[in-house]
Amino acid sequence: MLSKVHLPSSAAEAADLLRGGGWLVGGGTVVMPKVNTGAVPVDDLISLRHAGLGGIRIEQDTVRIGAATTLAEVGQHDGLGFLHPAIRSIASPPVRNLATVGGNLLVPQPHGDLAVALLALDARVDVVSADSTRTVSVCDPVHADEVITEVRFALPKGAWRYRKAMRRKHNSASIVTVAAVVGDEVRIALGGVAPRPIRAHAAERILETTPGAVTEAAEAAREGIEPVDDAYASAWYRTRVLPVHVRRALLGTD
Amino acid sequence: MASRIVSLTVNDREEELIARPGASLLSALRDNLGLTAAKRGCAQGACGSCTVLLDERPVPACLVPVETVDSASVRTLEGVAADGELDEVQQAFLEDFATQCGFCTAGMIMTAEALLAGNPDPTRDEVVEAISGNVCRCTGYEPIVAAILDAAERRRAARRTA
Repeated sequence: MLSKVHLPSSAAEAADLLRGGGWLVGGGTVVMPKVNTGAVPVDDLISLRHAGLGGIRIEQDTVRIGAATTLAEVGQHDGLGFLHPAIRSIASPPVRNLATVGGNLLVPQPHGDLAVALLALDARVDVVSADSTRTVSVCDPVHADEVITEVRFALPKGAWRYRKAMRRKHNSASIVTVAAVVGDEVRIALGGVAPRPIRAHAAERILETTPGAVTEAAEAAREGIEPVDDAYASAWYRTRVLPVHVRRALLGTD
Repeated sequence: MASRIVSLTVNDREEELIARPGASLLSALRDNLGLTAAKRGCAQGACGSCTVLLDERPVPACLVPVETVDSASVRTLEGVAADGELDEVQQAFLEDFATQCGFCTAGMIMTAEALLAGNPDPTRDEVVEAISGNVCRCTGYEPIVAAILDAAERRRAARRTA
């Protein structure tokens, strides 16, 4: 039985409350199903809705997104048009009005497609706990006593690519998600093929050495993946189609 | 337990209620305020039958801890028919046979209201995307999509003659 919902007014206050246990809740799209069904005992909730973590700022080419910013806000921001297809590939419009950027970094794959995009952007993630602050990468684990406060990245230099294979056109989890920046530096991030978003380093190296070697790079994207069977696709299928989607993403074709 | 008094403006009326810790906005609407149009379906934000407008944006009310939205403005299906007159969306759902069992209807209409408020002339694809979080197990969606497009047309026509 839930005993209290805390409404901290800052990230520091949230981190302080977290020392006593409890669950952080951003948009509620992951935590509230557990609360509603009682499937997992939840004692205290610590809501980030009033913690001052919302908002998008773009200065020169640096983008800073507060962790409690909703996916819908990212999807409507004029300066972030290149991310709009990724946002529209996640859940449904009502869920996107609640789900937060920080929360998207924490949900396990095959959800969390924005995290895949942010990994391709090499985003930095600021986290605070009661007695420290640190900056991590999107694929680094965040500890249970830490609060994500902000995500930062530079606008992509080079072509931006995003592609999500799913069972239907809207509101479905990832079979395979590919996000990439292709320029002098190549960064390819994959979703749906490991518990967390991963970089396709082998594929990146091939493209940086031989920019035209798209087919070889797409094959190499299989290196290091750990796909699982779930309701959306089998591990076998994900492994089979990954190079197809990496290739199409890199070529920017349907 | 630390229950809390929460104030909401629901369908333009000031309301106050006592919320148990972690109670959802849906529970507050149905159990505290007796507004039962929004339906309790999946309880995990997947079915859309509890969709209401929270500060004018559609959300699954089951996913919102009501204590976190103190002093927010909420619109439910009960607040759509002004003075007992069905609005264009409701009238189109009625005339176009867009309901069968009716369980999804309240959520469908609130999602459609939000779509049309921001986009008075949506394409079919935009309607399909807008209702992608609202599950209907009866109609096969086609009459619902047609009704929303019809409602948009009715509303545009009403504005032209107004």
